[in-house]
Amino acid sequence: MLITVTAPPQLRAGPGPGDAGTAAAVIRTDALTKRYPGDVTALAGLTVDIQPGITGLVGANGAGKSTLIKILLGLLPPTSGRAVVLGHDVAASGERIRTLTGYMPEHDCLPPDVTGTEFVTHLGRMSGLPATAAKERAADSLRHVGMYEERYRQTGTYSTGMKQRVKLAQALVGDPRLLLLDEPTIGLDPAGRRSMLDLISRIGAEFGISIVVSSHLLGEIEQICDQLVVIDGGKLLRSDTMTSFTKVSQVLLIEVDEGMAALHSELAARGLEPRRSGRGLLVRIDGDVTYDMVRDAVADLSLPLNRLEQQRRRVEELFRDNGDEEEHGDR
Amino acid sequence: MTADNGTAALGTAPAAGTGVIHDLGYRHYEGARLGRAGIIWALYWHSLRSAFGIGRGAKAKIVPILMFALMCLPAIVNAIAVAQQPGQSPIVDYDTYLFRLRPLVMLIFVAAQAPELVSRDLRSHVLPLYLSRPMRRLDYPLAKFAAFTAACLLVLEIPLILLYVGNIVSAAGGSAIWAQTRALIPGMGVAALWAVLLAAIGLVLASLTGRRAYATGIIAIYLFLTWTLSSILVNIAQQGPVGPKGVPFGPNAVAPLGARLGGLISPFNVLDGVRQWLGGTNPGPIPPPGSAGPLYGLMFLVLLAACLAGLAARYRKVGAA
Repeated sequence: MLITVTAPPQLRAGPGPGDAGTAAAVIRTDALTKRYPGDVTALAGLTVDIQPGITGLVGANGAGKSTLIKILLGLLPPTSGRAVVLGHDVAASGERIRTLTGYMPEHDCLPPDVTGTEFVTHLGRMSGLPATAAKERAADSLRHVGMYEERYRQTGTYSTGMKQRVKLAQALVGDPRLLLLDEPTIGLDPAGRRSMLDLISRIGAEFGISIVVSSHLLGEIEQICDQLVVIDGGKLLRSDTMTSFTKVSQVLLIEVDEGMAALHSELAARGLEPRRSGRGLLVRIDGDVTYDMVRDAVADLSLPLNRLEQQRRRVEELFRDNGDEEEHGDR
Repeated sequence: MTADNGTAALGTAPAAGTGVIHDLGYRHYEGARLGRAGIIWALYWHSLRSAFGIGRGAKAKIVPILMFALMCLPAIVNAIAVAQQPGQSPIVDYDTYLFRLRPLVMLIFVAAQAPELVSRDLRSHVLPLYLSRPMRRLDYPLAKFAAFTAACLLVLEIPLILLYVGNIVSAAGGSAIWAQTRALIPGMGVAALWAVLLAAIGLVLASLTGRRAYATGIIAIYLFLTWTLSSILVNIAQQGPVGPKGVPFGPNAVAPLGARLGGLISPFNVLDGVRQWLGGTNPGPIPPPGSAGPLYGLMFLVLLAACLAGLAARYRKVGAA
């Protein structure tokens, strides 16, 4: 009996695609602009670097997310500006980029009368895989997304969650270095969203594939992202790593049984800019001083303090409240 | 579940040694990849198979197989007839085949199967998935056109080959076989013209809508209406019925100009006009075009070019949306 005492074999840590480009950005755009006929501007001079890992692409509907993804795939020519994906210029090397990239569209794209296996196998062939390899990788991809016996059923019988999984599997089948996922959680119930996000997170962490995941719900994807790119009206609002997003988003939740209004004005008088949140007040933490000020304010008013809790403020709130701040935060 | 357990076992308990089947995790693909040409070829095969319902349910096979069988039937009947009465001249010609049966069969085949190739993909919005793969925008319609042309060719040419085999089996001597072969070759050429034009017409019309039933309707109505209208025009211009209804026009009769031009509006009759212009002497559905012959050739090219340009334009637009 052979007993291995060393570290587990690093099956996934081989010369993966993530390693090669650790230093270089996966996606780099420079003053990328797209105007549609009729003077509709979808992207207005977007300049952003996207690093390996999982990147959230966040913006309201119509912010330019889908347009950006189509340009990155080389499907739409930009009006001006440049974009480089995995070291290839989108204008010159669209086919090369599409070999290296998997794309999961936002809308439904499954013909109802084929099985999940047939569908993913066919698209594997369309990704350039020979017939046998396409079959094998289709089976693998479907297993990775958690489709087992269902994959032999026609896709018309699938639940929304299964459909989304098959859409993800077809993006994965060609062994991409980069995945572009357009609103992968759309139409899913909370449990389905959760498991889709887990799946994306796992693909990013374990498969060594960089992922750009777009969503109009910031709160949802921030949990799984390493980097966040926020666009609005075709412009970059902010791009940063999650760590620096959360650094500024440490907040303190204060709950008192009574006298919330009094505490609100007291904290405001001490320059803390408190904000109501449910049954409590939120203040931004600027070091230990903040705790002292809150303690003093509560003590001075002799209020019954119920709860004092440090929270990681959701990035979404950060954008909602500090409308003018993020413009300066934009580097 | 099992996959997760496997992963966990791999990460935390490598020394278990109890014969656990480990989940190998994600494996990258290191093998060869087909280039653009290989992908187009794969799409061509996939489309050609689906034109006959292969890889789809049993229902999808009914129409194509039935039409194919119907088209083969005259060749089989002919083979039996010439076998029973040696020396009898064949009852079916290679170049016109049966000029009333062939348009009907092809009309149904094209109307039913062209939507299978393109409308389906439009309906299920699968096109962006093709476009996000290493092919170019017009590779998709190119593969579809090639595949559907090949499908039409199979339906048109295999009966001709059956006809040929049936004839030479009963042929007396080498010169008779040679005569059959010489008749077969232009027949195959005419069938190829049919395949190219009908595939282009079918696909461009089917690509207009994602609804299969509409697409089938549009194609059937267009082909049938123009065919009927053209036949009526030809008959009227002949100043009343010439002989019993449907009797073909003789090879040497010179029809009035109206009758010679009437065929131009129907793709089926255009194809027959081209056949006669190129030297086909067997009687067809329209009178010999005579001096109007080049017009049929031109019309064939214009129709084909318009359909292919329309198909290309359609897929440029669909892809950008």
